[in-house]
Amino acid sequence: MVLYEIVGVFIYPGIAFLFGLAFLYEWIDRKFFARVQNRIGPLYTGRSGILQPVADFIKLLSKEDIVPASCEKPIFSVIPIVYATLPLIALFVIPITGSALIAFEGDVIFLMFVSALITLTVFLAGWSSAGSFSRIGSIRSALQMLSYEIPFGLALIGPAISTHSLSLTKIAQWQAANSSWFLWLQPIGFAVVLISLLAELELVPFDIPEAETEIVAGWLTEYGGRRLALFRLGKDLELVMASTLVASLYLGGAQPLFFIPPVVILILKSIIVLLLISFIRAIFARFRIDQMTSGMWTYLLPLMIVQILLVQFGIGG
Amino acid sequence: MSYGSTIKVPFGPQHPALKEPEYFLFEVDGDIVVKVTPRIGYVHRGVEKAFEQETYLHNLYLAERICGICSHAHTTCYTQTVEGLIPLEVPPRAVYIRLIMAELERLHSHSLWVGIAAHEAGFDTLFMYLWRDREMIMDLMEEISGNRVTHAINTIGGVRRDITSEQANKIKKFMDKFEANVKEYMKVLETEQTFLKRTKGVGILKPRDAISLCAVGPTLRASGIKSDVRADDPYLAYGEIPFNVITHDGCDVYARTIVRCEEMIESANIIRYALDHLPEGKIKVPPPRTIAPNESVGRVEAPRGELIHYARSNGTAKPERYKVRAPTLGNLASVCQTLIGAHVADIPMILAGIDPCFSCMDRVVIINKDA
Repeated sequence: MVLYEIVGVFIYPGIAFLFGLAFLYEWIDRKFFARVQNRIGPLYTGRSGILQPVADFIKLLSKEDIVPASCEKPIFSVIPIVYATLPLIALFVIPITGSALIAFEGDVIFLMFVSALITLTVFLAGWSSAGSFSRIGSIRSALQMLSYEIPFGLALIGPAISTHSLSLTKIAQWQAANSSWFLWLQPIGFAVVLISLLAELELVPFDIPEAETEIVAGWLTEYGGRRLALFRLGKDLELVMASTLVASLYLGGAQPLFFIPPVVILILKSIIVLLLISFIRAIFARFRIDQMTSGMWTYLLPLMIVQILLVQFGIGG
Repeated sequence: MSYGSTIKVPFGPQHPALKEPEYFLFEVDGDIVVKVTPRIGYVHRGVEKAFEQETYLHNLYLAERICGICSHAHTTCYTQTVEGLIPLEVPPRAVYIRLIMAELERLHSHSLWVGIAAHEAGFDTLFMYLWRDREMIMDLMEEISGNRVTHAINTIGGVRRDITSEQANKIKKFMDKFEANVKEYMKVLETEQTFLKRTKGVGILKPRDAISLCAVGPTLRASGIKSDVRADDPYLAYGEIPFNVITHDGCDVYARTIVRCEEMIESANIIRYALDHLPEGKIKVPPPRTIAPNESVGRVEAPRGELIHYARSNGTAKPERYKVRAPTLGNLASVCQTLIGAHVADIPMILAGIDPCFSCMDRVVIINKDA
């Protein structure tokens, strides 16, 4: 039994499996993004460049480790590890194989907590590295969090109200049992969660904290070598987290279908979400931070409140 | 919102928004720029002195290398200036070939710029599409001249290579395709809300300021002022070819984008007309080796604006004095004015708005002994 649990945590559906998914998703994202832009994308490492993310990761690990003289060294060293770990923890509560590794009543709130922590980590990462670009980037990411956090939280609560449960597993099972997805029941919530996740993942049009042409790499500017590798792994894991979260909250989760195992169904659904995210980031330009915050507060939040009111009145679940 | 004191934000000489080294010191109050101090001279290469060291023919290659993007504009201006010194009449066919290359270069420079503008706004997809088309223009130029960047097609007294009828057909066919593509991109630029939000009302340059600060080229025309060397002081064969001078009343970065897009369509029309009316005859006349004492000024509408070359000869094979004024120098004062009152996040957009080419511009080096 203990052995079974160890395998669960470390191999499947735990850390090794999730790392694999993270690299796979990065490849899908890069390849699809490139095709939308009329480019080819990764090509040489592995079949159609499928191993490129892994190769990049290993290459970064082998690079020289540079620590800026004026940074706060303890935070600077610890933050990359924390950043890579947090999305992993969040992924443990998402029912990827039909049931989550850790499932308990209230894990939706835990997930919101983790996602807020990720942004705080970003803020600390930028702030501790003491570069001027990093500081601007970290302030921007904190500002950005203030604007998307509330609509994001409300978008997670919508399905929870309908299913009378704060457990992700139960929400996913409810959709499977009633064979109705929250995508159809609460479409506004789906749109809002997608937009907030774009902001959380710092993707175009909300890649303001790392706007390349304005502030170099934003909060990431001072990081290199294995620290950068960890950040990039963390970003990939965040991508997996975001797409599987949307898939299990709004697209019915890991439903078994005929003989296909539920995990395959969930991965397919989350890849659809991933492609949607990639497509959105290909067709927009970047907002300015003031436009983003005011847009979130004036449009996204009222829309989400309307959605919650609709749910309260019994429309959409 | 004011915090009472201002923060100094350095920008450059190394910065991802600047492809060439230049330094700007911004004084920022909160998120708003209140003062801009540019510092030029990072890439002073002593071009003007080098001109005095070499013969007129050698200098052609030097002029070619002043700018990496508008190399043809510089040689056109150089040959025009030197031919004015001699003076020398260039065969009409050579004039038309020079003009076609100049317009192809304008197409490639403008599509490069619109791509950069999209990239500065975080719109990388449009950047990729425009640069794909630009690549095809580069291929066309390579087919005509043998080179992608430094075309080396101009020579004193004419051009080095002729355009065959197959090449002409190929160019015409591509122009139709390119024009359709540009119209498509314009539709995207005019309707894409995130791009409009980043460019409309950003970097306002009022017509009066544009004139008093000597703005040139698309920057000036985007402030609604009809000024184009091609129309005002026709050189090459521009006097014989019908075309419109594009202007826009927006005065902002969006207007500069649209002006450049419409100029691309206009250039495609010019190229088609020029190819249809390509005169027959020689492409080159031999120039003399030495030039009697004389003075001459050449003006050319480079993709970035008015380009001025000045030369003085003294009877030898080398010029006595040579002066180059690149369009970016004309636009620098206006962009510093434009930046005041802008958001920090808009700085790259506005700076890129003039299509800066700092390396072509630097003619001095400033040494601060106290620093």
